Amino acid sequence: MTKQTVLILWAALCGLLLSGCVATEGGLVQTVVVTATPTAQPEGAKIVLRVGTGDSGEGLSPHLRIIEQFEAENPDIQVQLEPVGSGDYYARILTQIAAGDPPDLLQIGDDAVPMFVDKGAFLPLDDFIASEQYPLDTSIYLPGVMAPGQWNDAQYLLPKDFSPLAIYYNKKLFDAAGVAYPQEGWRWEDLLATAQQLTRTSADGTVEQWGIQLPGPWTTGFEYWVAAAGGQLIDAEGTTFAGYLDSPEVQRAVQFYADLYHKYGVAPLPADMNAFGGGNSEFDNGKAAMRLFGRWPQAGMLQNPNLELGVAPLPAGAERAGVLFWGGFGISALSEQPEAAWRFLRYYVGAQGAEVWKDWALPSVASVAESSGLAADPIEGVWLAELNHLADRAYVFTPFWGQTADPALRRVLESVILDPTADVAALLATAAQDAQTALDDLRP
Amino acid sequence: MQHPHPGRARRREAVTFYLLISPWLVGLLTFTLIPIAVSLGISFTRWDMLSPPELVGLRNYARLLDDRLFWQSLTVTARYTLMYVPTELVGGLLLALLMNQVDARGIRLLRTLYYMPSVLSGVAFVVVWMWLFHPEAGLINAGLAQLGVQGPRWLADPHTALTALWMMSLWGLGRTAVIYLAGLRGIPRELYEAAAMDGAGAWRSFVGLTLPLLTPTIFFNLVLSVIATFQTFTSAFVATNGGPLDATLFLVLYLYRKAFQEFQMGYASALAWVLFALILAFTLLVVRSGRWWVYYEGETP
Amino acid sequence: MISSARLRRWLLLALLWGVALLFLVPLLWMLSSSLKPTWQIFETPPRWLPNPPRWENYSEALTTLPFGRYLSNTTVITLLTIVGHLLSCTLVAYAFARLRAPGRDTLFVVMLATLMLPYPVTMTPLYVIFHRLGWINTFLPLTVPAFLGSPFYIFLLRQFFLTIPRDFEDAARIDGANTLQILAWVLVPMVAPALATVTLFTFQASWNDFLAPLIYLQRPDLYTVTLGLQFFRSTYTTNWAYLMAASLTTMLPVIAVFFAAQRYFLAGISLAGIKG
Repeated sequence: MTKQTVLILWAALCGLLLSGCVATEGGLVQTVVVTATPTAQPEGAKIVLRVGTGDSGEGLSPHLRIIEQFEAENPDIQVQLEPVGSGDYYARILTQIAAGDPPDLLQIGDDAVPMFVDKGAFLPLDDFIASEQYPLDTSIYLPGVMAPGQWNDAQYLLPKDFSPLAIYYNKKLFDAAGVAYPQEGWRWEDLLATAQQLTRTSADGTVEQWGIQLPGPWTTGFEYWVAAAGGQLIDAEGTTFAGYLDSPEVQRAVQFYADLYHKYGVAPLPADMNAFGGGNSEFDNGKAAMRLFGRWPQAGMLQNPNLELGVAPLPAGAERAGVLFWGGFGISALSEQPEAAWRFLRYYVGAQGAEVWKDWALPSVASVAESSGLAADPIEGVWLAELNHLADRAYVFTPFWGQTADPALRRVLESVILDPTADVAALLATAAQDAQTALDDLRP
Repeated sequence: MQHPHPGRARRREAVTFYLLISPWLVGLLTFTLIPIAVSLGISFTRWDMLSPPELVGLRNYARLLDDRLFWQSLTVTARYTLMYVPTELVGGLLLALLMNQVDARGIRLLRTLYYMPSVLSGVAFVVVWMWLFHPEAGLINAGLAQLGVQGPRWLADPHTALTALWMMSLWGLGRTAVIYLAGLRGIPRELYEAAAMDGAGAWRSFVGLTLPLLTPTIFFNLVLSVIATFQTFTSAFVATNGGPLDATLFLVLYLYRKAFQEFQMGYASALAWVLFALILAFTLLVVRSGRWWVYYEGETP
Repeated sequence: MISSARLRRWLLLALLWGVALLFLVPLLWMLSSSLKPTWQIFETPPRWLPNPPRWENYSEALTTLPFGRYLSNTTVITLLTIVGHLLSCTLVAYAFARLRAPGRDTLFVVMLATLMLPYPVTMTPLYVIFHRLGWINTFLPLTVPAFLGSPFYIFLLRQFFLTIPRDFEDAARIDGANTLQILAWVLVPMVAPALATVTLFTFQASWNDFLAPLIYLQRPDLYTVTLGLQFFRSTYTTNWAYLMAASLTTMLPVIAVFFAAQRYFLAGISLAGIKG
């Protein structure tokens, strides 16, 4: 009898499960979700394009605006944006690619391009670009913004948005101290002198105002200092770190960076080791006169009453150099509708898309930058001018940069920030060795 | 309970057992064992998740032995487990005893206050603490300054970062306390009345009655707490990303980094299986020891 | 002169509220931050009272994204998961606690072991399975497994079943009740505090679940609340005030459930009540 009852119960459970499935698929979801958004249901013969992006929040608005315009002009295609906020974007798309189910178009950040492309995740775009029906004129772009999407002389991704590095400065603090604003042509020595003039210490020895807020052990940001010192982190073949990562130029860059923290005491120590965490807020609080960073927090800074914002070009060391941060879109090699994906992509990153982008980020199309007045703007013009000084980022030489030298370099930077007496040459030698071992292990 | 055919009754009981657990068995076979088996297979390959995996035998496991960061992450994880598990067991029980003060005024509100922080989901929870730990602007160092103590740089200092994460996690004790509370409320009131009649004071009835009857709950919390602390991830992922100088590089954080940031899913799976073996050994030890100290009123041999 | 009983009561109250304050401070800080303009959040020295409080943070945070949609999605998933766990975990836990069968103890260890493999490495194979089943972009991967039991809750309930003396079932069995009747009428009421715990924790876990919805729900109209919260953080910037405001708001339902469910933890167990 017991057995029977259990059987009946189990059957009931199965039934419930099944009806649950049906309810979720046909009923509940229908009522809860689909009826509320008829657009989510593909209708008729429309092609549905899936677009994966790591942008989020207000950053989604330009995507949605462009999609809306595109759909109005191309009624046969429906674009479904699949956004994932913050750091988990790669976990999701890698899982989707491994399962053979990625979005048709994928957004990738600069340093991931070599790895994804090298492993065949993206379609080469050159044939599409040169096609007769839907060509793309690549001469419309600003200098330097196409290169991060290339690998082995072929174009795989096209630019979504980008940011160089520059120096924010607070005019209020400069004026109060009677210090002149930094100008193009200034050098590391000038940066140091300016920062020293703006650092103010109270009677009991605590610093009331800092010269410059630096981005801590942020390795990609640090590549600026290396390039400006005339150094290179890896050889051009992408095989050797010794003699590069530990070269005298890189040593000089690390030493100067560490000295700004310790020897000269013009930069506040980081409150946490995350460059984007928000914990390091001296500049925002009006307690640091300058800040080295990308353009990302600028919109918020312009609303901050503590600041009267100016942006200065990067100072030159042995070289006048800068680095670019870049995000782009490509077509997944697993897409079953690459032609439709291309039609959207060329719109997305082309002149029409740039018209929308310009209100949210720097546009990558030269004519849009000109016509919108951004190129002549005292702040935005500085960012755009930095494009003329770009040095190669280290990742362009090897797909394995992020797995080898990046963690090693980070350890060096953390060490010199934490320990004023750290031996820079020895640290870099160890880093070069660790990175080399890791690279030899990974290269086929 | 007397049955004319003990053999048949036993068979029948076994059949009922398997019928009752059959939903779980179905789930185990479809949604658990297959992924687990696949991940074991992946651990013998080199796989970037973008191109097909390549069989490399035991190479990933051999690499582990020479991997400084693997040993570092193992040390961090073990240290944290040793710090956290005892405080969770004792602290959770103390908090539950406070929550169990039924007669205190406002106890319902108080109980909710204790529980509230554990509801906050991952990121917000960690971010609040990052502000509290701020070396200059944070409340903790401001409080210490009032006492004339110069506070440490917490998350930015390799010597204090792990301690900071431990303090952070204590804020979520309310969750463990709720399990204890359910255990405390499950102890029949009559037993206390009987003990009181025998002249037992508060302390004696706690040690002689509450603790023994609570051992199944303590056992549960111990096992789960070991499993969970071995898998600590979010706090380090958000607050420190393993730093500074790998001081908070937990094993699962290292594994996640290998899998999704360094494209080495094969190696990450090998890491996972080493972790699995460790937790399993530890848990078996705890389960074994349970025979000596866990008291079940209605145990079935 | 204060009697020692009264003194003890005052001390206890002081202790209770002192501890509560420790738990409350970070939350108050969060509340304060949620009412500030972004540039004020990291001010030094920190200010407790935002001046003026920026209440718009709440309306803006909750309207920039379709949080109503996210809430209804999350509610459907959460309710189905609770029902699933209560049904399946009770049955399985009872079997593990009460019935003798060959292989039982091994299976129990196997069950615990399934909790031990970190999610990042099983995530991909699991995704492939759900993909083959055609369940991506439905709530099924998030709800169906709940009906097949969860080791955490099975273990929890098993521990509670084991604390109940067998006499009660034997008595009921002599009265002619079968296994399921005993389970439903005798044992379930006795583990009510544990079932309340299962409900609460399932509610909380499902409400706060992040990785599973992230992977299985790709269409924005299916997103849950936690996925929505992530949208205040992007790669390079975070809108802290909105994140705090939305986090506090979405935490309210769980708090409300806890406040109400306390009654059941409090119910306590009286042997006499059941015997009678």
